[in-house]
Amino acid sequence: MTYLAKPRLHHPSLVPNELGFTRRDYEGSVSTLCAGCGHDSISAAIIQACYELDLPPHRVAKLSGIGCSSKTPDYFLGASHGFNTVHGRMPSVLTGANLANRELIYLGVSGDGDSASIGFGQFAHAVRRGVNMTYIVENNGVYGLTKGQFSATSDKGSKSKKGVVNHDSAIDLVSVALQLGATFVARSFSGDKAQLVPLIKAALSHKGAAFIDTVSPCVQFNNHSGSTKSYDYVREHNESVNRLDVVSPRDPIHVDYAPGTTVQVTQHDGSVLSLHKLSAHYDPTDRIAAMSYLAQRQAAGEIVTGLLYVDPEANDLHEALETVDTPLNQLADQALIPGSGVLAKLNATLR
Amino acid sequence: MSGPLTLTNDFVVKFANVNGSGSASANAMFAKSVLRMGVPVAARNIFPSNIQGLPTWYEVRVTGAGHLGRRGGVDMMVAMNPQTWDKDLAEIEPGGYLFYDSTKPLPASKFRPDITVVGVPLTAMCNTRYSVPRERQLFKNTIYVGALAALLGIEIAVIEQLLAEQFAGKDRLIKANVEALHMGRDYVLENHGPLGLQVRRADGVGDRIYVEGNMAAGLGAVYGGATVCAWYPITPSTSLAEAFTEFCQEYRTDPETGKARYAIVQAEDEIASIGMVVGAGWNGARAFTATSGPGVSLMTEFIGLSYFAEIPAVIFDVQRGGPSTGMPTRTQQADLLGAAYASHGDTKHPMLLPQDPGECFEFGALAFDLADRLQTTIFVMLDLDIGMNEWLTEPFKWDDSRKLDRGKVMTHDELEAGREFGRYLEVDGDGIPYRTYPGVHPNKGAYFTRGTSRNPYARYSEEGSVYVDNVQRLLRKFDTAAQIVPGPVRRDAKKATRTGVIYFGSTTPAMHEALELLEAQGQHVDAMRVRAFPFSAEVYDFIAAHDRVFVVEQNRDAQLRTLIVNEGDVDPAKLIPVLHYDGTPITARFIVKEMAGLLGGAAPSPARKTVPEAAE
Amino acid sequence: MSFGHIEKIGRRVIVLGGGNTAMDCCRTSRRLGGEDVKVIVRSGFDEMKASPWEKEDAIHEDIPILNFLVPKEFTHKDGKLTGVLFEEVAATFDEKGRRKLLPTGAPDQHYECDDVLVAVGQENAFPWIERDLGLEFDEWGMPKVDPVTFQSTRPGVFFGGDAAFGPKNIIWAVAQGHEAAVSIDRFCQGGDLTDRPPPMTNLVSQKMGIHEWSYDNDISNDQRFRVPLREKVEALKDVKIEVELGFDLKQGLAEAQRCLNCDVQTVFAEPLCIECDACVDICPVDCITFTDNGEEEDLRGRLKAPALNLDQALMVSAELKTGRVMVKDEDVCLHCGLCAERCPTGAWDMQRFTLEMSHASDVGGGACQAR
Repeated sequence: MTYLAKPRLHHPSLVPNELGFTRRDYEGSVSTLCAGCGHDSISAAIIQACYELDLPPHRVAKLSGIGCSSKTPDYFLGASHGFNTVHGRMPSVLTGANLANRELIYLGVSGDGDSASIGFGQFAHAVRRGVNMTYIVENNGVYGLTKGQFSATSDKGSKSKKGVVNHDSAIDLVSVALQLGATFVARSFSGDKAQLVPLIKAALSHKGAAFIDTVSPCVQFNNHSGSTKSYDYVREHNESVNRLDVVSPRDPIHVDYAPGTTVQVTQHDGSVLSLHKLSAHYDPTDRIAAMSYLAQRQAAGEIVTGLLYVDPEANDLHEALETVDTPLNQLADQALIPGSGVLAKLNATLR
Repeated sequence: MSGPLTLTNDFVVKFANVNGSGSASANAMFAKSVLRMGVPVAARNIFPSNIQGLPTWYEVRVTGAGHLGRRGGVDMMVAMNPQTWDKDLAEIEPGGYLFYDSTKPLPASKFRPDITVVGVPLTAMCNTRYSVPRERQLFKNTIYVGALAALLGIEIAVIEQLLAEQFAGKDRLIKANVEALHMGRDYVLENHGPLGLQVRRADGVGDRIYVEGNMAAGLGAVYGGATVCAWYPITPSTSLAEAFTEFCQEYRTDPETGKARYAIVQAEDEIASIGMVVGAGWNGARAFTATSGPGVSLMTEFIGLSYFAEIPAVIFDVQRGGPSTGMPTRTQQADLLGAAYASHGDTKHPMLLPQDPGECFEFGALAFDLADRLQTTIFVMLDLDIGMNEWLTEPFKWDDSRKLDRGKVMTHDELEAGREFGRYLEVDGDGIPYRTYPGVHPNKGAYFTRGTSRNPYARYSEEGSVYVDNVQRLLRKFDTAAQIVPGPVRRDAKKATRTGVIYFGSTTPAMHEALELLEAQGQHVDAMRVRAFPFSAEVYDFIAAHDRVFVVEQNRDAQLRTLIVNEGDVDPAKLIPVLHYDGTPITARFIVKEMAGLLGGAAPSPARKTVPEAAE
Repeated sequence: MSFGHIEKIGRRVIVLGGGNTAMDCCRTSRRLGGEDVKVIVRSGFDEMKASPWEKEDAIHEDIPILNFLVPKEFTHKDGKLTGVLFEEVAATFDEKGRRKLLPTGAPDQHYECDDVLVAVGQENAFPWIERDLGLEFDEWGMPKVDPVTFQSTRPGVFFGGDAAFGPKNIIWAVAQGHEAAVSIDRFCQGGDLTDRPPPMTNLVSQKMGIHEWSYDNDISNDQRFRVPLREKVEALKDVKIEVELGFDLKQGLAEAQRCLNCDVQTVFAEPLCIECDACVDICPVDCITFTDNGEEEDLRGRLKAPALNLDQALMVSAELKTGRVMVKDEDVCLHCGLCAERCPTGAWDMQRFTLEMSHASDVGGGACQAR
């Protein structure tokens, strides 16, 4: 970590976005995580994605649980309201916040301990309810803040820094999210922003439960040989199924890939996901095929990354609940209180 | 031995049934028919944690005098469950009455010589008239209501009217039920005379309504402006969330779009429920959950977050018998301490203590104003007795000029005008800081909410002095709470006395009846009903003004008394516990017996008393 | 003036010229009795050679600066100077972007004055050196001097300072003096003048702790602070009085701490890098990029922020594990050291560069040596 504030000086050629903000305007406080932490790269990717999407920072609500990953919302989008909740319970708080105001953009940041262990249930239920959110798990396979215990996403057979071998099966959050009905599922790597930034942009533009599992090496406790979440291991075993460009509704679509290698998916908000296929037969709109492909590659020891599944026609919880368009936290008294006349009628039926 | 009881408008009828036999609606109709004759009733379900097959009871106190507490004792038993026959029979007061299905002959040894037995061959009548098994079962209930009407002097037209209302629009059902009703009535008129227990038309009900506390509280949440409800099913609170759902569907559907001005989520557990409530509260919506003791236990971490991060939340705790799974379908007031001090570290939370469904509505709405005003969790402490039984209560009232009090929320315009914003900054001296809703302003008013210590501007700090200042402010806020929560209600004895009694919640009707009985015995006691925690100064003044004060409550550990001692630094020796905790609602008879014994004695007993086993 | 030859000047003074000398002249005039002092310049205000702060200070002392006026004629009456006539011009640019000052056609302007100071610069001239000495001169009459040894075409004669390559400042003159001294030493020892001892350079890590450096690395966002000035009335009384009062001790130290640390270098050790992006993410000025290697022009455009200053070479690492390279655009580096603080493996280090120029030996007639 560093204790000096990051200088506000920036490169003279930094370009402001549609809102007049430079990328630097999307930053938060200086990170207090260890030097080289993958989580900081993910924060940088979130900053880049929000900048590129021209999101007004104050219209984003960022929520997290407890743990290294959950500290990060302090380190990006300083002009947004943030909520560092309790361990493993960010999904429910995010759900409640989303119910209160459907107009904000909800970004949940969690870790593998937070989402795969203590909060596994809440993760599952928020996903299956289709809460409109971007849910990023910063997955390092280890409990960092308590100094290096295995987490539930540690691969069976992987070794801790102290040399202990993990004998429990790993929870693969991507497979779980697919099974639970998440309408946007991706996996990426903190060390590959070229892949990660477009995925975050696409997820933020997605209406529904968007989940990104981001392998994020813990430099302190899980970046040794024998780890399956180290920079080296992930780079050696990364099998990316596609490369993504997110084209906003107002930009002309420009694709520079050879014909036939690109799939385009239009989301609810009009944004176009232009997917350059790296794995020839991979279809990111086929949930069952995605699950089966993941299982196969996983068995072969590979880490499949990219946009694994997207349902462009996804619905969210508000649609299921048929709530009014006005955010619930903005309804006026008269829209909420039936009044004395209604009570008089009701009283009459209770005698 | 005296003869058969002769009582008019003042007796208790208890129905012993088998769960799942459809008796509940027939029994409720019986109670309501008495009400419709202008005679107050207090009816209580005594039911098992079971859907079908276990014993269940329904107790109706017919009380011309308007005593709505449970009296204790049974004057007439409607014994429809062979499994509990012996116990049910034993419960009948000497000179009382037994009503039973005489289809199966029973030996004389199964009866008591000191009671009047009324046998009606219900099964035989049903089997003759109906062929479908389900009909045989359901109409049997209606037949016994008809029979009881004839025995007790209930006007048959009143019940016919109730059937017409219940099955409005389904004429075939009305006709069939009226026929069954008359079958029972006719049989009795032919074979038995009216009994010594009689209902006589009176004018004792007035404009009062007859409603369950859970329903009233759910309605209160609608009027309190709640828009988000997250809950997990748990007896005895489930019907609160369900009532809220129904009222919302009726009153909160946008007439133009048909869309909902509310969001209700049945969560995966109580932790998620309170998490959603906290999330919604953080984001400026009024949100609540309904639960019972086990749920509160699960929620405690979030309750602490709500306290420390200062996020409005409302929890309806419909108390049941604890600890652990305890007695899920029985009543207690045993969550007071658990709720008041829920969560780790130094925490405390305001509680509202409604006495009946009327106050469930009132406090149900008020809780949301208080939560926003105080930016913390507000508990509304119902119990199974109030929550799941229909009570006669004052009609619901609402002042249309009333506005929802959103508390201290700094707006976009105030921020824009340059007003200083510190999320945890003491501004007005009342311990309550200002908050902002997420998304309010492009570059002002954003802050990071966390459960860790922070400075007045919401920035992380573990500095000792910063922490102390903050938790001291939270104490000031709690003092403010004591001033704005509903104050206690005093009921002074007719003669000056140095003895007082403090009570709350569902104990109230039994307590009032007990005070009348004590007064008749020449025992004068000043009474105070507390309606909320933290206690206002009046409560401590009341204790100071008396030599000894009974604290009557429905739990083993004298939890209200503990709270008073703890928060007011009151000498424990002055507070004499009167405790009832067998899972049934407290009775006037119990209170009188306990207090009379102690009132006779010289010195107040400081020690916790061993309580006799169950009320009668 | 400095030597006391001149002690006063007329009440009305015109200074011709736009460089720092002109600024010096006009402000000195104010102190020698000039009340109505003007600077009149051919070029525009922004193109003037004078440093901005010098111009500010002149204006502060009530000296107007008039631009785009070309002197045409000194006017006089009875053998006494009465003023200067100026032609008004405007700047125009030809197709090659060269500036030309062309008359606007407006009537000439006449400014009255008692004295004119011509501060339009100086040229070297060596008419006093005999041309048959074996010393060659170029077409402008300047001696031909070796840019490395500072020796003229006649062995044993050396030039330095303004005399060598025309007017520059004193810093250059001192540096050239050093180099010439090395040459002279070599010459006297009978050595090869081009065989010069290298300067001593050194790089020393500045890392003290996890986030502590032995130099002040915090970056101040403050603009330059103004140096407090003496009251104008006082300052104009005496030419020898210091106008700038300087910072007080505290402010002075604070100002010294915001030194740009040009001498502290970011040093990159490829084998240690795990390509975690921490340095990229923390760099406030986007000067670090990990990317595929390429030709310089292509590479400059592909960086996180384009490297537009072609005078500044890019720092390009050897190939890293992923096959990419690290490219750093030094042009905007703040030397804040955050890249090294965030680097988990120490691949980045902040190292202080010291340069000790070669000195001519002053001991025992030995060869020049690095100290």
